[in-house]
Amino acid sequence: MRIQGGSALLRALLARAGVLVAVLLGAVVLVVSLVHLAPGDALDAQGIPEALRPALEARWHLDLPVWQRVAIHLGEVLSGDLGTSLAYRPGTPVAEVILGPARRSAVWLFSALALTLTWGTALALYTAGRASAHRVALRTVSILPVFLLAHLSVNALNEGAFAAMNAGWIDRPDWFALPDQASALRTALAVVLLAVGSGGLTEVHAAMERAVTSARRSPWAEAALARGEPLAPHLWRHLLLALTDLSLHRVAFLIGGLVILEKVLLLHGVGFILWDAALHRDSPVVAGITLLAAAVLAVVRLAGDALRLTLDPRLRSDP
Amino acid sequence: MRWRSAAGLGAVILLAVVLAALLAPLSGYDLVTDVDPGRAHLGLSLAHPLGTDHLGRDVRWRLVFASRAFAGPGLLAAAVAGLLGTLGGALGGYRGGPLAGSARYLYAVIGSIPRFVLVLLVGSVYGDSPWVLALVVGLSYAPALGEALHSRVASLRRAEFVRAGRAYGLSDARILWVHLVWYASRALIGRHLLAVFGYYVVLESTLAYIGGFGVQEPMPSWGNMLVFEWGRGQWLALLAPAAALWLVVSATRWLADALEDPLDV
Amino acid sequence: MSETLSLTGLAIRGPNRLLVENVSLSLAAGRVTALVGPSGSGKTLTARALLGLVGFKPGVISGTLEAGGAHLALTHATPQDYRPLRGKLLGYLPQGARASLDPLWTVERSVGASAALGSGPNDPSHWLRLSGFDDPEQVLRHFPHELSGGMAQRAALACALAGGSRFLIADEPTTGLDPTVQEGILRHLTRLKARGLGVLLITHDLRLLPELADEVLVMAAGRIEERVTPEALVAGALRSEAGVRLLEATRTIASGRLG
Ligand SMILES: Nc1ncnc2c1ncn2[C@@H]1O[C@H](COP(=O)(O)OP(=O)(O)OP(=O)(O)O)[C@@H](O)[C@H]1O
Ligand SMILES: [Mg+2]
Repeated sequence: MRIQGGSALLRALLARAGVLVAVLLGAVVLVVSLVHLAPGDALDAQGIPEALRPALEARWHLDLPVWQRVAIHLGEVLSGDLGTSLAYRPGTPVAEVILGPARRSAVWLFSALALTLTWGTALALYTAGRASAHRVALRTVSILPVFLLAHLSVNALNEGAFAAMNAGWIDRPDWFALPDQASALRTALAVVLLAVGSGGLTEVHAAMERAVTSARRSPWAEAALARGEPLAPHLWRHLLLALTDLSLHRVAFLIGGLVILEKVLLLHGVGFILWDAALHRDSPVVAGITLLAAAVLAVVRLAGDALRLTLDPRLRSDP
Repeated sequence: MRWRSAAGLGAVILLAVVLAALLAPLSGYDLVTDVDPGRAHLGLSLAHPLGTDHLGRDVRWRLVFASRAFAGPGLLAAAVAGLLGTLGGALGGYRGGPLAGSARYLYAVIGSIPRFVLVLLVGSVYGDSPWVLALVVGLSYAPALGEALHSRVASLRRAEFVRAGRAYGLSDARILWVHLVWYASRALIGRHLLAVFGYYVVLESTLAYIGGFGVQEPMPSWGNMLVFEWGRGQWLALLAPAAALWLVVSATRWLADALEDPLDV
Repeated sequence: MSETLSLTGLAIRGPNRLLVENVSLSLAAGRVTALVGPSGSGKTLTARALLGLVGFKPGVISGTLEAGGAHLALTHATPQDYRPLRGKLLGYLPQGARASLDPLWTVERSVGASAALGSGPNDPSHWLRLSGFDDPEQVLRHFPHELSGGMAQRAALACALAGGSRFLIADEPTTGLDPTVQEGILRHLTRLKARGLGVLLITHDLRLLPELADEVLVMAAGRIEERVTPEALVAGALRSEAGVRLLEATRTIASGRLG
């Protein structure tokens, strides 16, 4: 038997990183092929200004056969060049179009992730092992799709404020009427709804409740109790492990929800741009954002794997 | 006991929605597209049990017709996910080898792109026909099902009862499809298929709500029915599609919870 | 005056039947009390009741515990009441030792956490040595899944003792281990006994008892059927049906004569 420490962890992590890079490469091939295999000329549908057309045609090698175009585009993407926008902001490099808003979106995304995980865990610690009406209530609300939750809460806030203004109780609030041009309320609303909606919060709650219950019922917890030890120092590692597994699933799901909420609540993040670019059939921008999302997901997965491997020695023992 | 009846209710709701989608066209499209501003915003009445919308169209019939927007494509998406996920997952998990390896790689690649983003990408490049969207949704759910099935079949492959079955002379195909897939994994598969259907319902109404993709006026969708009631104080017309959406999505969950997985603890 | 821990009139009710009925037993420093009986007779349940760990309703419906000068009515004891008992006075080596160690903690951390609560030395190595590891350094940094069955058993024993307890419940400490390891654990329990530890040894292996036990309680279907000395056991002087069957089974296996 050998002591397994840092080197085993590093090896396992490198292996995971290798897999993720291979998968990401596959995603690039998939996205680029999807864009180029579409029937018709990518420029036809766009209403491109005539002056830009020859430059863009050359840029996109529209005179070449499909497979060559795919190969060239792949080469560009892999060298870090996402191309230029066709229709959404014609001629602007895609990276320039998406990076600023992507930073904002990332803040909202990870705020919502943190919120849904802490909220779900706190609820789970409270409800685990008890009969509780919270579960049903939580599920009833949380199962609503995010767009509907946004629609209902915006309506309720507006109607409420409108009634209160009419009754002379309040002056016109600065956010009235939602979705307004700029207010912290709108952003906060998006983060909260993203954390709750489309089944998100119930799923976190249910998973964490299972984790808490199974940890409390485990033989090691009983043995610790029998020794008079407090459970908390044991429990937090097991819960953190469950949370890590959970976040890996939740992030992809939250990205989808954020794209929807940015559009509904008029938040100018990268999801908002994705909508507009998709409606304009601006495939370089759409492809760029898709790859960015895949890259973010891959980085999160790698970070999650690193955390899991650090927390759980069973995962890093060599087979 | 209570969740049993919830499961029954869920099944009834889903069946009703599919039936509504099949039967709605029999009554003709005029019912839902017939604009008459003189009848706008009528309250409850026998002729209009759920009132009328801002263009005087009957909310009840629009609600029923809207099921056409998702029932068929939702079933298609579930079928695609079920077929690809089950085939890849079961064969890969049972046989292993390079083919299974590449199937898993493909799954991982598809799974590396957030589902909704993939839908928008394909919708923008290939158009937003419901059948295209259904295909993407089905494809994007195949990895989750495939992975789950793969690991279950791979772990059961070495189980006692499988060895006993083989010693007893059962063929590999019979062990795999009858015992490992049908008996040991049907609840797992069923849950995934219900999730796919639920996702398609939500996706369809989301796209129609935001507009640009999906069902367009004057055809009804639970999503676009909501848009026009924004801020008009029309609570009934606002709540009817919202409630319908909630019911159908909940129905998929209730039913999924009732499927008994022999490997659940 | 030698220290004792005594349980009187324990009864435990399960969801639909009585599981343990009128069980009394007492432990004394430097003595090994053995609790034997067929599977499902309520041995583990009795041990758990001593520590307030019966986790179902209605659970303990009668019984008192006297230990360390305190008198505890088990029916309404709170976790607060068990505080001076758990780990400090009474250590517990559960059935299935490996699972009783936190899989995410090294042996060092597990033993250390237990030792930190007691008044004895805080150094995990001390307790590991006491539990039969000649070279504790070897095992300190290992996780439970990296230990052999015998090592896990000894590491769990170290955890149970590290709180400074003067009594020990050992629930089937030799089950599932190979004979040499069993023998090692027996030898070790004998050493601990000589150092003044009072032990409740739960087992269905009667072969352990002649050398180790001072008193044998035969349990069946939730009751103590009889109390005998190990000498009586060796002489085959058992009267209860459960005891006779257990003894016969043990002899059959020991002599390799089946059927
Ligand atoms: N949590 C529980 N809920 C209900 N019944 C239980 C529970 N734990 C144990 N029992 C019941 O109590 C009885 C005694 O169980 P116990 O674990 O004490 O047996 P045991 O004598 O230790 O057997 P073994 O030698 O197999 O370990 C069994 O019939 C069991 O079904
Ligand atoms: Mg037992």
